Amino acid sequence: MNAAQVLNGIALGSLLMVLSSGLAMIYGLRGVTNFAHGALYMSGAYIAYSVSLHVSFWLALVVVPVALALIGVVLELVFFRPLQNRSHIELGLVTFGLALIAERVVVLIWGEKTLSVDPPPGLRGTTSLFGVEYPTFRLAIIVAAVVMAVALVTWLRRTRTGLYIRAASQDLETAGIMGIDVNRISLIVVSLGAALAGLAGALAAPYVSLDPGMGDTFLIIVLIVVVVGGVGSIAGAMISGMALGIIQTLTTVWSPSVAVVVPYVALVVVLLWRPQGLAGRRV
Amino acid sequence: MTATTLPEVSQSNAEVPAGRRSRRGLVFGLTVAVVVAAVGYAVPYVIKDTYTMSLAVEAALLGLLALGIGFLARHLGLISLGHTSFFGGAAYAVGVGVNHYGWSMTQSFAFGVLVGTALSLVMGVLVVRASGMGFLMLTLALSQALYQLCVQTSFRPLTGAYDGLLISFRPDDTFAGVNASDLQNPGLFWPIVWIVLIVCVVAVWLLGRSPFGTILEGVRENEERMRFSNYNTFRPRLAAFVLSGLVASLGGALFALNGAYVSPDILGFSRAGDSLIAAMVGGLGSLIGPLLGTGLYVWGEAHLNTGGNLHLYTGIALIVVLVFLPGGVTGTLQRIWRRLRKERPGMGGRR
Repeated sequence: MNAAQVLNGIALGSLLMVLSSGLAMIYGLRGVTNFAHGALYMSGAYIAYSVSLHVSFWLALVVVPVALALIGVVLELVFFRPLQNRSHIELGLVTFGLALIAERVVVLIWGEKTLSVDPPPGLRGTTSLFGVEYPTFRLAIIVAAVVMAVALVTWLRRTRTGLYIRAASQDLETAGIMGIDVNRISLIVVSLGAALAGLAGALAAPYVSLDPGMGDTFLIIVLIVVVVGGVGSIAGAMISGMALGIIQTLTTVWSPSVAVVVPYVALVVVLLWRPQGLAGRRV
Repeated sequence: MTATTLPEVSQSNAEVPAGRRSRRGLVFGLTVAVVVAAVGYAVPYVIKDTYTMSLAVEAALLGLLALGIGFLARHLGLISLGHTSFFGGAAYAVGVGVNHYGWSMTQSFAFGVLVGTALSLVMGVLVVRASGMGFLMLTLALSQALYQLCVQTSFRPLTGAYDGLLISFRPDDTFAGVNASDLQNPGLFWPIVWIVLIVCVVAVWLLGRSPFGTILEGVRENEERMRFSNYNTFRPRLAAFVLSGLVASLGGALFALNGAYVSPDILGFSRAGDSLIAAMVGGLGSLIGPLLGTGLYVWGEAHLNTGGNLHLYTGIALIVVLVFLPGGVTGTLQRIWRRLRKERPGMGGRR
């Protein structure tokens, strides 16, 4: 085991952290287990591919979150808000259907071939760190994810909107009675969650290869991360995402066969030992 | 995690008061079953087209999977994405029995059903305490863990990893009187799968009407109150889960015999999703809903899968059903039927 493997684990953990924080936010507020989160992540990666092919990767980092935020607005206005009185399972399965559709739409636009994105010129090559030569772009992913995580937590803790979001996640109805515009908060949260998923996709695009199944594999892991962290807890999701990324990467070095079941074992252990998740109900 | 059962499930079952579970209903139901069984048995003599017949066999095999999922949804309100593990696990076990241990087809079939049911027991112990979304995610996670294990390179000698498992039967071997080489012939395989399907449907129907079924409904409606009333709610839930696992395992074991090939796809995420969608589109509130949905799905797979766009249509179908037709096809038909019956006397009496 060397520093490069640890850094690989942190890079994977960073992606999981960005993805799962968005999923946890949407769950906390709307109670929806968003099965379309993997599809949002995948769409982000594919849009990033097109933008960086025609213009530049840097522009993609701006365009993708904006585009995905718009998709989030549609999700909220067309599905989550009108269907908010349905059972959570029904709403979850609606997003499941949306994910299936999104996957096919991506194939129809970009084809089934595996695609790859080059890192931008400034971030190619390697950097020397802790005595190893490490790909610069992966370091950039880690930095971007950490900056985003700190910004998100600060925003939630220090601003009025953040306070509203935390209140609404605790109890949507009471928050509404207290005069918080729950619909506005929900719109912000769902579009922000979608934008974060898109950002994760854009960041991942030069790191992983793009194929239409890329969302599914990540979705299951991210769902597990959110449940392990404590459903609806943003900080819990971030911490368990990072931890799972590191543990899984390091176990892969030791034994790949064991590594693939690590997330599932973690889920079962946590749910049997602490069903409310590691962080419990704290947002 | 909020425990929420599907409203259409509770609605459709709440309609049947205990008093109506009479002997007459039982006789009527069994008569229908015998008639349907006889009619279905004659299908290969009417449909000579092998392709159509193979679709019918596929629908019946996947129908067993959907029947298991539907049973759990209808009586316990639990939505499972994990039944592919029992279906696929049983199919793989049949292959392992034949290839690895050199057992006969009948022995391997029994082994497959046993392994699938055992898997459902293990998973059931871990998951039946959860409900609603938690149950859905746990079953999904555990079934995907099995998939991941199955495609590992270290399991290649047993499962063939991503290549799948080609099952080589001994040519002189027979299963239920059918030669190994004839099992792939849908016309000859149909009677076997049809009888199993009908037996399972009748068994599930009878269990639903039995005191056991009433306990399950109590647990579904209010688990806490059942515990107050001195009922152990864990064991009935587990029993129901294993039972639905057994039904799915029967389908999987027959699937392996019919196909002589098992691909890891049958354990995968998209198979799990498809089987649940098929059951939901048909309607989880009724016994035949999941079977009807599976039939529609197999038909769609054969006729609408232009350019691999099947998932585009299943996705749309799922959303349309969930948003506009709660209760699926059968639930909607039931609603229309009820409205017609209500309106007739109403219209006559109105001035």
